[in-house]
Amino acid sequence: MRAATAARPLALGPSFGRSTVVLGGGLVALTAISLISVAVGTSGVGATDAGAIILHRLFGIGTATWPSSSEAIVWDLRLPRVVGGMLVGAGLACAGTVFQALLRNPMADPYVIGTAAGASLGAVAALLLPGLIPFIAALWWLGLGLVQVFAFAGGLLAVVVVYAVARAQGGTPVVTLLLAGYAVSSLLSAGVALLMFLSGDRLAAVVSWLLGSLGGASWPRLAFAAPLIVGSFVLLLLRWRRLNALLLGEEQAVHLGVDVEREKRILTGLAALATSAGVAISGTIGFVGLVVPHLLRLAFGPDHRLLLPASMVYGASLLILADLGARLAGGIPVGIVTALLGAPFFLWLLRRSLVMRSRP
Amino acid sequence: MAKPVERRRSPATVIVPQRHGSQVDQPDRDVPPSCEREWHLMGNLRGTSRGLAGAPLLVLMLAVSACVASPGVSAPLSAAPSPAAFPLTLTDDAGRTVVLDASPGRIISLAPSNTEIVCALDACDRLVGVTDFDDYPAEVVDLPKIVLQTQVDLELLVAAEPDLVLAAGNELTPSSVIAQIEDLGVPVIVLYPESLEEIYTDIEMVAGVLDQGARADSLIDDMRRGVAAVEAAVEGSDRPRTLYEVFHSEGTTYTAGEGSFLASLMELAGATPVTGDAEGVMEAEDLVAEDPQLILLGTASYDPSMATSAAALAVVAARPGWSDLSAVRDANVVPYLDDIVTTRPGPRIVEGLEALARAIHPDRFD
Repeated sequence: MRAATAARPLALGPSFGRSTVVLGGGLVALTAISLISVAVGTSGVGATDAGAIILHRLFGIGTATWPSSSEAIVWDLRLPRVVGGMLVGAGLACAGTVFQALLRNPMADPYVIGTAAGASLGAVAALLLPGLIPFIAALWWLGLGLVQVFAFAGGLLAVVVVYAVARAQGGTPVVTLLLAGYAVSSLLSAGVALLMFLSGDRLAAVVSWLLGSLGGASWPRLAFAAPLIVGSFVLLLLRWRRLNALLLGEEQAVHLGVDVEREKRILTGLAALATSAGVAISGTIGFVGLVVPHLLRLAFGPDHRLLLPASMVYGASLLILADLGARLAGGIPVGIVTALLGAPFFLWLLRRSLVMRSRP
Repeated sequence: MAKPVERRRSPATVIVPQRHGSQVDQPDRDVPPSCEREWHLMGNLRGTSRGLAGAPLLVLMLAVSACVASPGVSAPLSAAPSPAAFPLTLTDDAGRTVVLDASPGRIISLAPSNTEIVCALDACDRLVGVTDFDDYPAEVVDLPKIVLQTQVDLELLVAAEPDLVLAAGNELTPSSVIAQIEDLGVPVIVLYPESLEEIYTDIEMVAGVLDQGARADSLIDDMRRGVAAVEAAVEGSDRPRTLYEVFHSEGTTYTAGEGSFLASLMELAGATPVTGDAEGVMEAEDLVAEDPQLILLGTASYDPSMATSAAALAVVAARPGWSDLSAVRDANVVPYLDDIVTTRPGPRIVEGLEALARAIHPDRFD
């Protein structure tokens, strides 16, 4: 008994000191990765100029000694990508954590109940509907394309449909939710495939969107998505106790005084909101939302008081790092890099935890 | 909570949710800087198409739609370029209105055909960035590469401080990227000629921008003479039903679509193009029905293993149904090695036309 407790000291929840180390370390890493990411790129604009430009733009410190192209590179290209990566990475990892706990399914990710398929269908439809010019013009002052708005709306709408389908009189069983999510996703994916088949010369744009990229991140887009993502973060963080209770099973959660059905609705809605807003910035980026929660759970245990903020910090770090790699590697899709970076580390951690568990 | 929190597995654990968007297994991303680039990529993908399942289909559909068939969209130039008339207002091939305050001195070309037009107008020295597929003329090979693996690197583009970007149309340069470049304050002209006449028009447009009108006149005269010479050479010949194979995978052949630029060049070169539909997609059955008398394997330009006549014949004869085609029975299968000049819509298109005519009517060019 003592041995088991020693092997998983976090089972009782992290101590204050441990949380500080995990989150503090994560924040330090996130800051370092963000700074490096702003200071490094394919062009020769380096750390000194990047730092000076940011200080100049933010606080008016110093005088411009750099060419205006450097300012455009740092302020309009690199920085929005870093901030976008932060928001999307944090949102995906956090939503993944919530869905895995809520659905009690290790394969759950932010896209599991229809967000990705819905957002994809919305985005692809928008890419192929240039006929809606007046609508586009109306949105243009927001700096948003029709694509972003449709992706966001599509993602949320898909979740609403899935939820409505899965709902029975007694509640919404998670198995039904998963199955409905799978079926609706399949249907929407078929719609995406059909539109792609019919897309003609727009196909390149469609494929590019579906693969996901932070290359389109711009200040107006971030201004649209950031409040939604950050807002859902705050509300999710406040619900860590209820997520812990749900981990015990719905019946136990009810006994602990949790209004399970209401909680499921709220958590699903918030996670879908963060996911859809992120997808509107970047398209569908895989892997981060599936693996970061597992990684952190293996490393730090399942307490959501730590897991939720940690998933945001580490998800953001992973995606910014992956995007840096993607940029330097000639613009390959960032989803490939997240998998290349994350999967070996995840496998190593998985192996290690198995070895530790099998010790007498 | 008093006792350890354990994660429980519901029965749903066995359900493997569908992965959407296949984020990690796409071999290629999107937009080629030019058609031949895309075809080249496809050539590379040939050996792997089985393992990659649906992915090559995307690439293929892309190529077919973006390069072979390009019906519909045609945006004639509205403003006649008049040298030294800056600020110059013009309408590009995407129908966009572009205003230039002065003749640009730092130009970035996002497609090899654009590069060739600039250089043919004696303005190679104004180029400050090209694509990694640029190979002509020789002096552009060492220029900074702004497009890598079909991706425009915006950071490199901005760092090169261009005052004009020449993009490719029809989403070869994604419209989202064009918008981003414009947002960064750099004017963009989209070039997407879909016929010989449109190539001439584009050369004139670029010449107006470069203030090289006289050079354009002599260049276009030369090109027209070259085209006329090919037409004269093949005049009165029989017109064999000819399949130009852009790509082939698993029984589906991608060729010059009906009404496409490539199909029109083949007609000029004295062939009856076998086109399939407007997209140039042909299943083996359609092909057998159309029964081409001559097959030109454009893919041989990128695949040395198909570069001899014997190898080319062996490759196509092994495909289901192909051994019955007239072209295969009569051994009229040509490894076509001039794909680049034939499909790159720039000043060398006349060379491509002549290469086509030579391949179709070798007897007329002795």
